[in-house]
Amino acid sequence: MDILNDVNAIFRDVLENDDLVITPDTTSADVEEWDSLNHIQLVVSIEKHFKLKFSANEIRNWKNVGEMCDAISLKLSA
Amino acid sequence: MQVGDKYQYEFEVSRETYDGFLGIFNDRNPLHTDKSFANSKGFKDVVMHGNILNGFVSYFVGELLPTKDVMIIQQEIKFHSPVFLEDTLSFSATQSAIFESVNAVEFKFEFINKNDNRKVAKGKLLIGLI
Repeated sequence: MDILNDVNAIFRDVLENDDLVITPDTTSADVEEWDSLNHIQLVVSIEKHFKLKFSANEIRNWKNVGEMCDAISLKLSA
Repeated sequence: MQVGDKYQYEFEVSRETYDGFLGIFNDRNPLHTDKSFANSKGFKDVVMHGNILNGFVSYFVGELLPTKDVMIIQQEIKFHSPVFLEDTLSFSATQSAIFESVNAVEFKFEFINKNDNRKVAKGKLLIGLI
């Protein structure tokens, strides 16, 4: 499973930006539409898509998309 | 608030609600205001604005949930059958998910017309607990 590819599709859907390309280094500062309310929808969509649950502590320290994808990978392999 | 929690309420599409919606938003499309036009389109009377139901959803979130610390993040609604003046709608909402990571809960809801038991609309809500 290409987690980054799936996450990119989720970002495009939630942020309604079909041209968006994210990389592991992408942060919310790099994407205009990635605001606090959209962040909630992104996390909800990720949890639904990958059928997993995060805690508030687990997502609090994500610094970029790469750390988000690492956390997803870790959950999926647990 | 737990998954499976169910809320029920009745809403009447009263003259006051209809007039208020017309007065505030000024959507006077003839489907909503001209009975002969509505008849010509196959409806028995003028059709109530679908977004009146969104106002009822707002009441559910703001007034019927056990906490006032709420904010609508996302709302989807699909309309299935028309609503007419003074119809009474049975509203039910069930909590379908909780997302502790972002302090949000999801509800699925539907409106049933009590006059004929037809499903009027159904939808989904994502609510942030602020």
